[in-house]
Amino acid sequence: MNRRALFMRLLVKAAWVRRDRAATALLSIVVVATMATVGLTVYADLEAKLNREFRSFGANLVFTTPSAQIDKKAADEILAQLSANAAADESYRLAPMAYAIAVGPRESRVVIAGTVLGELQELNSFWDSQPLANANGNALLGAKAAAQLSPTGAPFTISFEGKTFEVRPSAIFKSGSEDDSRIFLELTGFTALTSLRADTVLIHAQASPQVIHAKIDRLKAAFPGAEVKPVRAVTETQATVLGKTRAVVLAASLIVVVLIVLCMVATLTGSVLERRKDFAVMKALGASNSAVNLLFAGEASVVATAGGLTGFILGSAIAWWIGQANFGSAILPRPLLLAPVMLGSIALALVACSAPLRLLRGIQPAVILRGE
Amino acid sequence: MFARLLFESFRRQRRRKAFALLAIALGMALSTAMISVATDIGDKVTRELRALNTNLVLTPMEAGLDVTIGANTFKPAGEEKAFIPESDLPRLKGIFWGNNIVGFAPFLFAQQIFFRPAGPVTARLIGTYFDQPYGKANEKTGVRSVNSFWHVEGEWPADAGFNGSFGALAGVSLAHKTGLRPGDTLEVGDGKAKLRITGILTTGGVEDDAIVAPLHMVQQVLGKPGAVDRVAVSARTKPEDAFARRDPNSMSPEMHDRWYCSPYANSIAFQIHEALPAVQVEQVRQVEQNQGKVLSRISGLMLLLTIAALLATALAVSAVMAGTVIERRQEVGLMKSLGAGNGLVATLFLTEAGLLAIIGGGAGFAGGVFLARYIGQSVFNSPIVVAPVVLAVVIFAALMVAFAGSTGAVRKAMRFDPAVVLRGDA
Repeated sequence: MNRRALFMRLLVKAAWVRRDRAATALLSIVVVATMATVGLTVYADLEAKLNREFRSFGANLVFTTPSAQIDKKAADEILAQLSANAAADESYRLAPMAYAIAVGPRESRVVIAGTVLGELQELNSFWDSQPLANANGNALLGAKAAAQLSPTGAPFTISFEGKTFEVRPSAIFKSGSEDDSRIFLELTGFTALTSLRADTVLIHAQASPQVIHAKIDRLKAAFPGAEVKPVRAVTETQATVLGKTRAVVLAASLIVVVLIVLCMVATLTGSVLERRKDFAVMKALGASNSAVNLLFAGEASVVATAGGLTGFILGSAIAWWIGQANFGSAILPRPLLLAPVMLGSIALALVACSAPLRLLRGIQPAVILRGE
Repeated sequence: MFARLLFESFRRQRRRKAFALLAIALGMALSTAMISVATDIGDKVTRELRALNTNLVLTPMEAGLDVTIGANTFKPAGEEKAFIPESDLPRLKGIFWGNNIVGFAPFLFAQQIFFRPAGPVTARLIGTYFDQPYGKANEKTGVRSVNSFWHVEGEWPADAGFNGSFGALAGVSLAHKTGLRPGDTLEVGDGKAKLRITGILTTGGVEDDAIVAPLHMVQQVLGKPGAVDRVAVSARTKPEDAFARRDPNSMSPEMHDRWYCSPYANSIAFQIHEALPAVQVEQVRQVEQNQGKVLSRISGLMLLLTIAALLATALAVSAVMAGTVIERRQEVGLMKSLGAGNGLVATLFLTEAGLLAIIGGGAGFAGGVFLARYIGQSVFNSPIVVAPVVLAVVIFAALMVAFAGSTGAVRKAMRFDPAVVLRGDA
């Protein structure tokens, strides 16, 4: 039997004969690799997942232009600046807005707004809307406006500089902002009544705070004279929530991984120390220090490779499940993490077995074999 | 004899016991920290958000429609307008959930002409508290503590004036249009007051086109002492659930009590309305509605991560325990060959495991308290407090995990023939 065959045989036998011991070491590595994969995968995808949750906070950018000429074409241009693939990109929503003051029933003054109602409702999904049964509804009525002008939601007439318009509310909504005092109409009807065009666009960009700021610069460059502002109440909330959550997940994952690693190093070190008799027999039979080191390192590497791979697969599956269970969409595995996880596992196993070996090298084999 | 066996086992196998103890302590420290972080994170993030944004708005009951577009208000000057008396505001802290009222900021709005050497400026004047002491306890409140998303370049003004001159903020869009800069002085209200711009304000809202000044100065300029148009309140609330969405008027008296005693946004709104009957309270749905959703996602995430970490810990610790028993097969063989029954051997090993679990669990809990504090301090600038009940949970978990790990291994060790084990062939 040549040296190589003997080495392989020792490796296989060590794992096979002491199955319990090999299983414990394997389990240790699997647990470490799994938790590291879960932590890193979740952390990497957290921002995208949380940004999606901010969809329902409504507009986070306001675009205003002094020329007051935002039509369908201009809106498409804005969208094209925001996203390279605007038609298919769900990340950006926008609603053009125009405001005017009309006269309602009993000579009361009321703010009317022209917009694309469907888009605005999508954008402001936090509105508490009560649908009404009006045929061909053409307006959304704020709760305060409704209380003053049409408590039951029945159609009523408003006028603007002599022209009149019949408002048929399709819903009454509550927002807790000044929108509650307003009537929202389709932009076409609004322009026919007031001859005003939209001068403001409310935009929701589903992106991280940094990307939102980059988009602002881009819009400013593309539309000279226009003003583009972040809605700080929303963007700052998003930045805070994201920052804090990422920090907590990172800190927690770090602590979990570090403690589990320590725990595992203790286990692995212990299991090597338990094998001091193997070590002594090998030495007594004339094995060199390097041959023994190689053997132990070889064992550790085999176990760590198997454990790291299993842990990566298991960890990716757990992260996928966390995404599915908590965010309703899977957190996809990151193949890029495979190499660091595997290398980390192997390094960990080598570190764990090198310390006790150094300790044993200082002791005479005979002492160990006598059991002292 | 049993006690002696136990004692000697700890005394003679210090290294082995130390490894097991270390593993249990690390695992339980991790569990303590994760459980505490997961249970406290919702509260911590809520606190952060409450300093950022207000979630309830108070307006006078009789007020008609808000005829406002951007920073411009279009209301005929003669129209009678209702105000909230400023002197009523300290009552906000007197409601049942008064401690959950983080702070508030009153606002008074008026269109004004400001005079300066470079020519007059017409803009909206907004009066508010920046950091004003109020009430008997002289607590401070204002936009600086409840609207911390307001960004000021320059300095925040003081609430009190000096010799008829007051500090004020100029909105960023207004400053851009009119060239106002920090240090500029303006006269307002026919020379009734002088304003010195101390900073440029960016909010992304109507304040960007306005001048924001101390409330008492604005009241004086308008000749309306003690008048407030609207109050923004920041209250720590419990996220809305199915119970909170029910109509309080249709609840039975017991249910109504339960609702009243829960810090939902609508029950706090109800209590504010009880304390200030002439006031209408609205929830800012954009904040109130969505925050709950985001918070539940974050808490859910931490919960799942915690469960994963706890499972990992359980596996790790039971592997260690199993390992320590497996290595002691010869001891089991020796005890059995000397006539010990399976029951006695199992009792000895499990007692050892129990002792290790209790000591390790206790030490781990102490470490976990420290870790949780550290995370809280570094991320939220306030420590995460660990509930004492976690100690019980952690010790119980440590016992369960240690027993689970040892039992299988002990049973396996006892299955072997003592002679075979002692010969070293097993």
